[in-house]
Amino acid sequence: MKIVRGVVTLGAAALAQSLLSHYGPALAGYCDLFTIVVVYYGLTCPPPAAMMMGTAAGLVEDSLLHSILGMNGFTKTLISYLVGSIGSLFMLNQTIPRFGILFTATILDRLAELGLSVAMGRSLDFPGTLTILQHGLGNGVLGLLFFWVAARLP
Amino acid sequence: MAHLLAERKPYLLLLVLLTFNLGLMSSRIKSAGQRSILEEAILSLASPFLKAASWVGHGVSGTWTEYVDLRGVQRENRRLGEKIDALALKAQEAEEERQELQRLRDLLDLRDSVPWTTLTARVIARGVDGSARIVTVDRGSHDGVRLNQPVLTPRGIVGRIIEAAPGTSKVQTILDPNSGAAGLIQRTRVQGMIVGEGERTCRMEYVSDLSNVEVGDVIVTSGLDQIYPKGYTIGVVESIGEGEGLTKLVAIRPEVDFRRLEEVLVVLKTEGPPEKSAR
Repeated sequence: MKIVRGVVTLGAAALAQSLLSHYGPALAGYCDLFTIVVVYYGLTCPPPAAMMMGTAAGLVEDSLLHSILGMNGFTKTLISYLVGSIGSLFMLNQTIPRFGILFTATILDRLAELGLSVAMGRSLDFPGTLTILQHGLGNGVLGLLFFWVAARLP
Repeated sequence: MAHLLAERKPYLLLLVLLTFNLGLMSSRIKSAGQRSILEEAILSLASPFLKAASWVGHGVSGTWTEYVDLRGVQRENRRLGEKIDALALKAQEAEEERQELQRLRDLLDLRDSVPWTTLTARVIARGVDGSARIVTVDRGSHDGVRLNQPVLTPRGIVGRIIEAAPGTSKVQTILDPNSGAAGLIQRTRVQGMIVGEGERTCRMEYVSDLSNVEVGDVIVTSGLDQIYPKGYTIGVVESIGEGEGLTKLVAIRPEVDFRRLEEVLVVLKTEGPPEKSAR
């Protein structure tokens, strides 16, 4: 059941991200729904399940973005592990801590992605600190909404 | 050993997954941009989502666009409808004014062409039964209107004043059975008496059985009645029948359309009736 729910969540995230990038490209730049899903699973599921979800979400994102397959898989696996580890140490069920972890996870994801690009010898296309921060803020707000909705689902 | 493995399971899984992703990345780089079987498989798994996203997106977008268009069309339709109504009203008013202008211009031409003092009047009422035997005009004794003054239109004789109040006057038209006008057939100069038949025709009486009358002959005033000036059109011969004794009964269709009579010319003073046709 949990697997089915995970697959459905991932599919919904892929669908929403596709719609957003198609009909609101400016807004899509501030939202990474896959990261939100990964953070959610990192905080609510055991580490193995969270990491599996991180890898799956990253690979789907790679296939959607036509980037190097495995790059987002790598970063999101790492993020899911880190979020799971932090979630096991701290209480992150309040709004501000949740926003903080979403914000941090999003920025780490972007930075890890940039670091991997550099490590693989690809040209660095740094979007700018402000853009990354905006990305983190946007994802933080949207993530809170996601958590609010998810808490009310059966 | 088993306990150690269970304790280290997350780390091992992390290591496996990270290695797996790195392997994917390196294989992609080695294949110089060509997709691997695994990548193809993932893309195949993702493609239904992409198609669904596109389908939903197009559906929502199409529905929204059509809805907005429909609202726009409805609003535009309402606006154009109102505009059409306003333009139709304006066109009707313009047509009315054009016709009135034409009638007044004809009256003006008539007034300029006759050597008498005339007065333009507007028909303001008809008989209570809707007939045009007696009509009321908006000029009266204050304007110089007197009894028995002839009333004309550019098409011909209308009738005579039978009552002149200060502001209005009554005109007995040639359709009235009690009216009478001296007329003659323009072509043959045969004379007779024009009497109204009530609704829309007149008849010419006292026309000799031997006289030359044909359907279509124009009947004009002869001036012998001392009311209507000589030479103005009354109507045309519509049919010819047998009258009393050795006379013919000539049915006349008046030239003036009494059902649409709106403006007329009252002849105030006649100084010598000229031989002149109003046609």
